[in-house]
Amino acid sequence: MIKKLVVSFIICFVGATIHGQDLNQTRNDSLVDGALQGETFDPIVISATRTKRQLSSLPLPTQLIDKQEITSINSMRLTDLLSEQTGLVTVSDFGGGQGIQMQGLDSQYTLILVNGLPLVGRSAGTLDLSRISVGNIRQVEIVKGASSSLYGNEALGGVINIITDTPKNGLHGTLNYRGGSNTTHDVSANLSLKNEKHGLQTFVNRFQSGGYDLIDTDQTQTVEPFDKTTANIDWSFQFNDKTSLQLTNRLYRQNQDYTASALLKGASTINEWNGMLKIDHELNPQWNTSLEWYTTRYLAQEYLNDASGALFYDNDFDQLFSRPELRTTFTPNQQTTLVSGIGLTFQRLERTDFLGTPEFYSPYAYVQYDRALNKDLNLIVGARFDQHNEYASQFSPKLALRYELSPKVSFKGSVGYGFKTPDFRQLYFDFTNATAGYTVLGYNAVATRLPELDASGELLSITVPLADFDTPLKPERSIAFNLGADFKPLRGLKIETNFFRNDIKNLIDTRVIAQKTNGQNVFSYYNVRRVFTYGSEVNFSYKITSEFKFSGGYQLLYAKDKAAVKAFDNGGVFARIDPSSPSFRLEPNDYIGLLNRSKHTANVKLFYHLKSYGLEANIRGTYRSAFGLFDTNGNTYLDRYDTMVSGFSIWDFAVNKTITKDFSLGCGIDNLLDYTDNNNLPNVPGQLMYGTLSINF
Amino acid sequence: MNMLKKMTIASALIIGLSACSDDDNNVPNLDPVTSDQVTNLHAPQETDYTQNPPAASGDFVRFSFATGQTTTSDTEWDIALRGTTILVNGGTATGIAEEPSRNGNAGVYLVDDTFANVTEVNTAGFNQDSAAGLALATGSGNGWYTYDPSVMAILPTPGKVLVFRTHDGRYAKVEILSYYRDAPAVITEDIALNDLRYYTFNYVYQPNEAVTTF
Repeated sequence: MIKKLVVSFIICFVGATIHGQDLNQTRNDSLVDGALQGETFDPIVISATRTKRQLSSLPLPTQLIDKQEITSINSMRLTDLLSEQTGLVTVSDFGGGQGIQMQGLDSQYTLILVNGLPLVGRSAGTLDLSRISVGNIRQVEIVKGASSSLYGNEALGGVINIITDTPKNGLHGTLNYRGGSNTTHDVSANLSLKNEKHGLQTFVNRFQSGGYDLIDTDQTQTVEPFDKTTANIDWSFQFNDKTSLQLTNRLYRQNQDYTASALLKGASTINEWNGMLKIDHELNPQWNTSLEWYTTRYLAQEYLNDASGALFYDNDFDQLFSRPELRTTFTPNQQTTLVSGIGLTFQRLERTDFLGTPEFYSPYAYVQYDRALNKDLNLIVGARFDQHNEYASQFSPKLALRYELSPKVSFKGSVGYGFKTPDFRQLYFDFTNATAGYTVLGYNAVATRLPELDASGELLSITVPLADFDTPLKPERSIAFNLGADFKPLRGLKIETNFFRNDIKNLIDTRVIAQKTNGQNVFSYYNVRRVFTYGSEVNFSYKITSEFKFSGGYQLLYAKDKAAVKAFDNGGVFARIDPSSPSFRLEPNDYIGLLNRSKHTANVKLFYHLKSYGLEANIRGTYRSAFGLFDTNGNTYLDRYDTMVSGFSIWDFAVNKTITKDFSLGCGIDNLLDYTDNNNLPNVPGQLMYGTLSINF
Repeated sequence: MNMLKKMTIASALIIGLSACSDDDNNVPNLDPVTSDQVTNLHAPQETDYTQNPPAASGDFVRFSFATGQTTTSDTEWDIALRGTTILVNGGTATGIAEEPSRNGNAGVYLVDDTFANVTEVNTAGFNQDSAAGLALATGSGNGWYTYDPSVMAILPTPGKVLVFRTHDGRYAKVEILSYYRDAPAVITEDIALNDLRYYTFNYVYQPNEAVTTF
């Protein structure tokens, strides 16, 4: 392996150096790049306030990944990008979907937006972020802390907003290719056109891979071969200098082989469509309005055939989401911005193993007041009200403050509410496992299905009375506190710190509601758990010279269940080392916390940019300390006597060289040290070598 | 570890000593308490996966605390095991296939504590099997075990002590240690699939009628 590594290093470096001697004509471009990266430039973000704000002026913990970083690390999918950010941990669900854990909260509590519009399709709770190609992403904005005051449902832990490219004047195009290990090919083409009236941005991407296998002895592959195709077209039309119209369309298709065993084989497909129509109108310099209608449909299908080719199993998941929204921005003076919106969310889900075809209606309204109280003090107050046809209404306020002590030191703090309504599965699931024989019923399906199971003689006893299901399942709610300080002690050095705490109540869990005659149980969902996460985050970025930039971050995290803390405090939890020893009582400090959380996560990145040669190189490392995926000693809690997954680090290396103004080459190695763990981290594919090619016109 | 260690504690001595100071003529004639380990008690179960839901079947293996052995007697048994299901010889039929008929007054309850700490019997705490359910609930986290999905293993929940009343009104406490053949320290997926349904447990049996301590 070492040999392989050395060889690939040499190829990479030699290749880059040879090209480096060729030409110097990239200077002009580099100057432009340099200006964009320069210390004085303060990028604009939109997600934190739904207005354009300078990143450094925000009172909320916000991170930004810009185009420069996206291209210099040669990433392909959104997961590649996010996994290198401080405090974001990629976690995969049992279906293989890859989501992001933020501030210790599970991936289903982070809202994922594309240009401010939500993505759907969480068949097992996780929204698979590898669905998203980075080929047309201009920047990714990450807002941490509950943000339901602006975005409503799901924005419990935070919001990730993906901002795509917008056309520049004239005709422009790019063609990008990356090919590498595991017969992976990623091809993207961008074409944009803009004149005074029209703007057109088109994007096509195809990502295909032979997948990979981390254990050779079994009949299945760890990741089966797949292909993912994205097509995007945005068109905008400027009626006059006050009114414009925008139409966007995105299509996504994913195919993957599905092998359950030597005999059971099939395939899975995902078809997704997103469409949006928006009219922006400036009534006068103070009043701006947008009327937007967004619709998306997500259809996932999978099947398995047995050896004779007969259908053994199939499953459909068909979700429709539609939302009209009217937004108004009122700017009475330079110090004040008032943003407000009203809208209606409609959702429908058709799914195998579901009771009926449920529909959700949720009208909402929000308002946010953003004011510079004086030149050092910024205040944001906002609130949102969501009504729902299935749940109690939700009111989510937020308050944020930023105080600039000096140009070198500023403080920011925020407190906000977040909520997540129970999803369709938690309400309408009606599923019996064909091999083990247990049954899972959604909360609202219990009243219909449990008496039916009883009448057909399948139940031994009912442990939770039906009357307990009369009051509706409650949304999960959180309150989030963030307190941070930013320092710029030296020219080129920036340090950001943040302390966070999230308290969640009514977390939904499963429990046994009845026992079956086959010895198995009937499960359903209920509001029970209260969990909290707290910790701190530090990020730094230091421009050492004009060529070298060093950045990094660290997160300390504690994530615990309140009932578990109590159980340990009361001495009600025991452990046993092995069957030869008796069980003993655990102490309160033996409790570790929630599953799949690492106490320490960190990243370091060293970027090198030799502008005169158009040469860029970087090396990045991410570290994750030990975490527990299962309770391995049978007491249902994660404690210090459980077997943990060891901590690990992943190192990536990339180099890119601009050959001519419009042509560049690159290569790199992801996961240099070839770290894999088939049992615990099947989403880490091992070492990947690749080359890239990019053409602009 | 597989050795069947047998030791008898004469705790009657302690009771006897305290009794001595009261009245020499009235020394109770108590039998010694049995403290023992049962290894590899095999409790097989057949599962018919062609049916939906799958049906469990097979004879229950009966066990007597008085003898410390399995038994085929229809009356002299205290508990009966099949797979993870444990029945008591007390109460009424639950409706499970092939369950033995109950003719004793056995019962059970669970205590969260270390095995050594359970010294008193709560005589009001016993549950018996009935049509409404098993006295000892099945399912992960409900009764004596927790399911570990990482290796598909049944793990005896640490700190769960089973207190039984025998069919003839004596008491016993049990700590289940393993569900796998030869009680391996680490359960692999292979063991979980092939060596299951072999109980290893510690028990203490109080053979004296109406004595509620161990």
